[in-house]
Amino acid sequence: MQSETVIALEGVSRTYGAGPTAVRAADGIDIGFRRGSWTAVMGPSGSGKSTLLHCAAGLERVDAGRVMLGDTDITTLDDDELSELRRTRIGFVFQSFNLVGALTAEQNVALPLRLAGRRPKRDEVRTALAAVGLGERAGHRPRELSGGQQQRVAIARAMVTRPEVLFADEPTGALDTSAARDVLRLLRTSADDGQTIVMVTHDPAAAARADAVVFLRDGRIVDRLAGADVRAVADRLVALEA
Amino acid sequence: MLRLSWAGFRERWTLFAGAVLTVCLGVALVQSSLLLLISAAAGSAPAGATALARMRFDASTEAAVALLGVTLGFAALLAVFIISSTFAFTVEQRRRELALLRLVGGARRQIRRLLLAEATLLGLVGSALGVPVGVGLMAVQTWLLHRLGFVPDGFTGRWQLWIVAVSVGTGVILAVAGVSLAARRAARVRPLDALRETGEATRVMTTARWLTGLLFLAGALTLIGLSPVGGAVGGQAMAMNVSVCAAIGLTLLGPSLVPAVARLIPVRAAGVLGELAAANLRDDRRRTASTAAPVIVLVGLLLGQAAASSSFTAAGRQEQQRWIAADLVIDAPQAPGDRVAATPGVAGASTEVEVPIALTTGNGDLAYTRSATALLVDPVSYVRTHPGAGDLTALREGAVAAGPGADGFSPGDTVGVRVGDRDLGPLPVVAAVPQAIGGGATVLLPAEVVPEEQLAGVPSHTFVQLAPGVPRQQIVAALTGVGTVSDLDAWLERDSVARTATSTGVLIMVMGLGGLYALIGVINSVVVAGATRPREFASVRVTGFTRGQVIRTAVLESVVVTVAGLLLGLLAAAGTLVGVAATTAAVTGAVTVDVPWLLVSAVVAGTLLVTAVTSTVATRTATREHPVAVLGARQ
Ligand SMILES: Nc1ncnc2c1ncn2[C@@H]1O[C@H](COP(=O)(O)OP(=O)(O)OP(=O)(O)O)[C@@H](O)[C@H]1O
Ligand SMILES: [Mg+2]
Repeated sequence: MQSETVIALEGVSRTYGAGPTAVRAADGIDIGFRRGSWTAVMGPSGSGKSTLLHCAAGLERVDAGRVMLGDTDITTLDDDELSELRRTRIGFVFQSFNLVGALTAEQNVALPLRLAGRRPKRDEVRTALAAVGLGERAGHRPRELSGGQQQRVAIARAMVTRPEVLFADEPTGALDTSAARDVLRLLRTSADDGQTIVMVTHDPAAAARADAVVFLRDGRIVDRLAGADVRAVADRLVALEA
Repeated sequence: MLRLSWAGFRERWTLFAGAVLTVCLGVALVQSSLLLLISAAAGSAPAGATALARMRFDASTEAAVALLGVTLGFAALLAVFIISSTFAFTVEQRRRELALLRLVGGARRQIRRLLLAEATLLGLVGSALGVPVGVGLMAVQTWLLHRLGFVPDGFTGRWQLWIVAVSVGTGVILAVAGVSLAARRAARVRPLDALRETGEATRVMTTARWLTGLLFLAGALTLIGLSPVGGAVGGQAMAMNVSVCAAIGLTLLGPSLVPAVARLIPVRAAGVLGELAAANLRDDRRRTASTAAPVIVLVGLLLGQAAASSSFTAAGRQEQQRWIAADLVIDAPQAPGDRVAATPGVAGASTEVEVPIALTTGNGDLAYTRSATALLVDPVSYVRTHPGAGDLTALREGAVAAGPGADGFSPGDTVGVRVGDRDLGPLPVVAAVPQAIGGGATVLLPAEVVPEEQLAGVPSHTFVQLAPGVPRQQIVAALTGVGTVSDLDAWLERDSVARTATSTGVLIMVMGLGGLYALIGVINSVVVAGATRPREFASVRVTGFTRGQVIRTAVLESVVVTVAGLLLGLLAAAGTLVGVAATTAAVTGAVTVDVPWLLVSAVVAGTLLVTAVTSTVATRTATREHPVAVLGARQ
């Protein structure tokens, strides 16, 4: 497999607020993600997982450091270029699915392509929906779908542009075990097809499906496990939260 | 992109329907006022009319044009204000949806373009509906103009084809203008901030908004300060405009002021529902301010103008009471000659005949001719019945005196006067009687300058002083042959109403229709505020609130916001009253303030009722769906 780095954070720091109430949510983070790798990010609540993801995806400003997507330092891009990035090279999946309620599943998935000024081919969108097992539900609105189905629509939307990196912030956090299993299977398949995935999760079972697990505490990377099983991940997390 | 818009359309049709409605009515109001103004200005006297009748026609045309000009101004002001604030509000209420678009890669430019395209479309639909509604409204306004006696019998508003372009242009431009600022702001907020309601997204007041708001308030204060030195006419205009400036200023500062004022209202006393309502008001200051805005404008403008108008009418009457020394007044179809003075028991009589004139002020290139009125008097008798008039001995043939309604010239100047087709030539202004707040004739002329045959059919009134000790009834009986005899007080009552007919007309035309429009703005903002909150309502319900409790909370919120808006609106109206007090004190020497309490209570109660009912209906609609179904869609 290729081992080239798709996205790299170099000394990324982000502080919220100022003065005595300032929170250092990311504190000099250095990490690279290889093409086709699936990395899970774990850590106690408030340890800076979402911040790391948001900074990496250009959704949040960084105070120091660089985020290199290929050859581009995305921290230097202006808003228009970042928007363009979001609909071409980066996909993002939220814990609360963030679908547009007025649009059908199909329209939601087509959205990034439409925003890019393309008239998406019907097949393209249908294929993306079929890939997440929702080929039959294309015409449904989000409120007519179950939580797991909505999350899969959100994944299809994030993947339809064939992004270089897919970020997912607790994609299974709002789902029951079986729905979560569907979503994880889906991510596994894409990773095996060469999709780079960075996923925040609280669930050791979910993290164990990834290729590697990174542990965060107080905005710093404190550990990294590769190819660990559920038990090893859980033990490590407990040790960290203690 | 517009397909996306269309999908949003179906989802939030109430939001968009409200926006279309404001455009439709705003365009209708402006279109109708403009067409009537043009029709009135283009009217000409019927063929074969006498010179004096033609002048009378021109004078009434001028009055109608002035009235319609003010109507158009107010209609335009309200349209600008209500349309742009409604459209801005619809954008504010969709911040979340817009943030989602940004998150999947929508650029700022695209968001702006989407919103502007939407505004154009809504503006087009609204104006398309507004044009026919405007035709209907013109019939109503024409009927009102006839009823109020502002236009001659045959007057009708003429339809012009080009008005369609003006109306559509107005609707679209106002909608787009309203959206563009809000769109710029909505697009500037970082998408994550918009979703989480943090950072820039929580900012409600921009520096520009602060500055403009404060500027308008400063304007209101300046007008109050200047009104006592503005003279009878200028002072009244300035006082009336105080509430306009103040209402706009207070509205602009609304996001800061309304929640602060709402805090003073003890809603918490209503238990947990009250607490939730108070928290909601504080939490969404933008919604709070947008809901209160039309209330402030409605109350400030309507009550400000109404109170000013009734105060000036009262001041005019009181002034006349002080200023006229007479016991009876005789209205006669023409000048009675010496018959009145010759009646036994009459100590003095002053006959006055009001005629329209063309008055030329300035000279050379600056000469300016306008319609005005002259009062034909016998100077000696006039001074007897108007003891404050000063010395009029110099007023004889070949001279004029500045009348109580004089404006733009003073003793020492020379003015040109034409009565009917008789040009009296340039005449020196030799004296001036005190200016009256209720207005009156522009100049006084000695009666003999206009020959009697020219005055055939021109009505007169005669002030009569009785000799002491003579029974009143006896003289009244003797004078009934001359004309209709009235007590001075009763006559002044009627006269002041007639004199202030223009401002009353403005009030009915502008404030009646404008008030209705502003009321629709009030309804609209309540509907818009409710239409975008089903999620919020649902999440309250799943924590254990019954539907009834949710509705009661929302209604409580609306009522509190309305009360805050009412207070600020009353403050704006009070500003006008201060100006009125200053003007009346300066012009008549006595502070006269007359608050139409009945109207005030009707407007206050009506606004509260309307918001409560609208809010109930809107919240009922927004909570119709089962809360779990609403929350299930985690958009
Ligand atoms: N917009 C913000 N403003 C201020 N502080 C913030 C903001 N976002 C995050 N923080 C703070 O930064 C720290 C890290 O937050 P972050 O959301 O990254 O944590 P997390 O690891 O994702 O937690 P969780 O597992 O609960 O989602 C927290 O202390 C949080 O309070
Ligand atoms: Mg998080």
